[in-house]
Amino acid sequence: MTNIAAAARRHAPIFLVAAFALLPLATPVQAQKSGGSITVGQELDIPGFDPLKVGVYDTSTFTAAAAIFDTLTTLDDKGEAAPKLAVSWTHSDDYMTWTFKLREGVKFHDGTPFNAQAFKENFDRQKDPANKCRCAFYITNVKEVLAPDEYTVVYKLTDPSVNLPAVITIQSQNNAIHSPTAWKTKGDDYNRNPVGTGPYILKSWTAGDRMVLEKNPNYWDKGRPYLDRIILKPLPDAQSRFASLQSGEADIIWDDENDADNIMKAQKDPKLAVHTYKGSGAQVYAFNTKVAPFDDVRVRQALVMAIDRPKMSQAISNGLSRPASNPYGDGSWVKCKDDGALPYDVEKAKALLKDYGKPVEFKMLVTATPRGRMIGQVLQQFWKRVGADMEIEQVDQATIPSRAFTRQFQLTPWRIVDLADPDPQMYANFHTGSPLALAGFSNPELDRLLDHARVTADLGQRTEDYCAISRLINKEAIWFWTFQNTYYALSSTKLKGFPKIYNSVIDVSNTWLE
Amino acid sequence: MLNFLVRRLLAILPVLLAVSLLTFLIASLLPGDLAMVILGDQATPENVAALRHDMGLDQPLWWRYLSWLGHVLQGDLGRSFRTGQTVLQAVGERIPVSLELMLMAEFIGLLIGVPLAIACAARAGGAFDRFMTGSAFAMLSMPSFLMAILLIYLFAVELHWLPATGYVPFTEEPLANLRFFVLPALTLALAEWPGIMRVLRSDMIATLQEDYIALAKAKGLKPSRILFVHALKPSSLTLVTVTGINIGRLLGGTLIVESIFALPGIGRLLVGAIYTRDLVILQGVVLLVACGFVIVNVIVDMLYAVLDPRIRHGHA
Repeated sequence: MTNIAAAARRHAPIFLVAAFALLPLATPVQAQKSGGSITVGQELDIPGFDPLKVGVYDTSTFTAAAAIFDTLTTLDDKGEAAPKLAVSWTHSDDYMTWTFKLREGVKFHDGTPFNAQAFKENFDRQKDPANKCRCAFYITNVKEVLAPDEYTVVYKLTDPSVNLPAVITIQSQNNAIHSPTAWKTKGDDYNRNPVGTGPYILKSWTAGDRMVLEKNPNYWDKGRPYLDRIILKPLPDAQSRFASLQSGEADIIWDDENDADNIMKAQKDPKLAVHTYKGSGAQVYAFNTKVAPFDDVRVRQALVMAIDRPKMSQAISNGLSRPASNPYGDGSWVKCKDDGALPYDVEKAKALLKDYGKPVEFKMLVTATPRGRMIGQVLQQFWKRVGADMEIEQVDQATIPSRAFTRQFQLTPWRIVDLADPDPQMYANFHTGSPLALAGFSNPELDRLLDHARVTADLGQRTEDYCAISRLINKEAIWFWTFQNTYYALSSTKLKGFPKIYNSVIDVSNTWLE
Repeated sequence: MLNFLVRRLLAILPVLLAVSLLTFLIASLLPGDLAMVILGDQATPENVAALRHDMGLDQPLWWRYLSWLGHVLQGDLGRSFRTGQTVLQAVGERIPVSLELMLMAEFIGLLIGVPLAIACAARAGGAFDRFMTGSAFAMLSMPSFLMAILLIYLFAVELHWLPATGYVPFTEEPLANLRFFVLPALTLALAEWPGIMRVLRSDMIATLQEDYIALAKAKGLKPSRILFVHALKPSSLTLVTVTGINIGRLLGGTLIVESIFALPGIGRLLVGAIYTRDLVILQGVVLLVACGFVIVNVIVDMLYAVLDPRIRHGHA
């Protein structure tokens, strides 16, 4: 049960849960075979697909959405934007306007033609304040979407975005394109009867049991998909999910670091393949620098220096968790020679706190889950060793965003998810005046770097900006990072063509069986 | 008899009312705020306040309870904010699964427990009796999630005899359906038979001391006939009650077993509702389950009265 609990916490998204449906361009290396059916063991029951109803997709929903729907763009194997329902794109000099040319002749599963008007209706429906959609939060940076002709879509942004085509590859509640006819005619029932343009069509769905997806015979990408049928099953218990894979009832299952034992077992099993994707982003924590004791940089630095990440990784995931020293991670194109990470140094930490001279006592928010408690307890021990008293305050997952927005915390967990570009999250988390700048720390140099990085096209230049940002944040210790995002799937070795697990999304829409 | 029935039914009304109040309070006292859950990342204080007002969450607790109860009495248990399904739809879809699981578990439990009880009672204090009573204790102290994993490992992963997880409706493929239910039902039954055995065993031992049994023995009746015909029925009274009470215990068991074996029953629905803070589903399901439990107990009382005339005449 603890696995389910931990999973429930992880997937109640804190900020910008994002997924990438990856359709790699056909690689001539392996011969794809058509036919057959696979079963995917998921972690959660899928609540539905209508953004107005479900608000935000979780990882289980993403897997289904990646098969039923298409997005405008997709991420290729190198993590760069590639065409899908959009065939080409251009941008204005200030990166505030992006124009996409759409693929012609595509139809939704119900026969409705896909065109600029259909796309605009999808967007307007989410944006409309009258609909009160939770999903609107993730498109606040888009002022409007225009459809000047049948196959052209124009994004008008409120802020520049140099990497928009890569950012909207996310197979999310905002980017999956639904048939307007379907949601208008089905009303409340649309949520559980989704209609897209994707490679698979929803055939049947028994709540809590299974969802059956069948091959779309009229898919626009000729020759795809390969499998005749995909069955998605929620298997909430990690042990029995793994047993189903071992016994052949499931061909691929979702997994994560909490289930380290089974991942290690799978690594030793010749019949099983372990798919690991080192994503960008990290598990992060924010100090509220407006309140004591965190208004003093010495205290913040001392606490960061007291964290022994390898030991913590052993304690929480048998050593699978990969330590993080910056917010970008190995999965990002931002590679820093020097990210300014503070070293693990207990003596230095003690000296800093001694120098501070007052007792350091504070509360830390953790989610009321077994995993949240464990992380809290490990940190508590590290900090006790250097002379700081942390009290764990367990709260419900859903109250964390609210406490964070209202700055009712001293130290809070947060997350930076795997996204094709660092800008949206870095800008939101660190720019002066942003509601998500949780540390309450304002620095003109930091603002200048963030502003510069979002309007610069040159990757080398942007990398320099982001590394300077990392050095500045690490030096001031306003946030700290514990572990990088690593995503896992375990499958039978017979399953081929499985892409990278961008942001933990198991996309099986392009796989085949050997 | 009719008099007894009316008395019984009147007595459960306050119980049902108390159940509804408790259910509502439990759901209300859970940490977390429904408005925040729904709003998620947009949960700015203004948004939360506006939504709370829309949903009536800013009303006093007693007022919210009464309005909820009013809706419930009209058959409207509400609608999940996550899936858009009504409580009755969600429960209707899943109740057959849980019922099948519980009935099968109870059946297997009786199948194991009753013969063992008779065998133990026939030679009370003997080696077999002592061994079985000890085993029953051991079984009772085995947590069901551990039992489930062991059974899965043995029968699904190692032997490949039975599926580890999954479900198919009985109406579609009866045989496959039964195969899916064997392991989960067995998991529950293994925790069920010790109770059945112990109750029946001690009642049988008591019955076997009765004068009429001595008379039957003196008449030279076969021991097997005495056991199965003369002693079993009068000893079954407590068993009927225990079986009724077990339904409640089994319901608790389904929470764990359905999650492990991925059966789409009431237990899974409830666990999911707790994790996603789907309070509407949570309140509705708990209320329906509790009412079901109360009603089952009334039926058991009735059966008891049918089996033992002393009870309905108030002599017991």
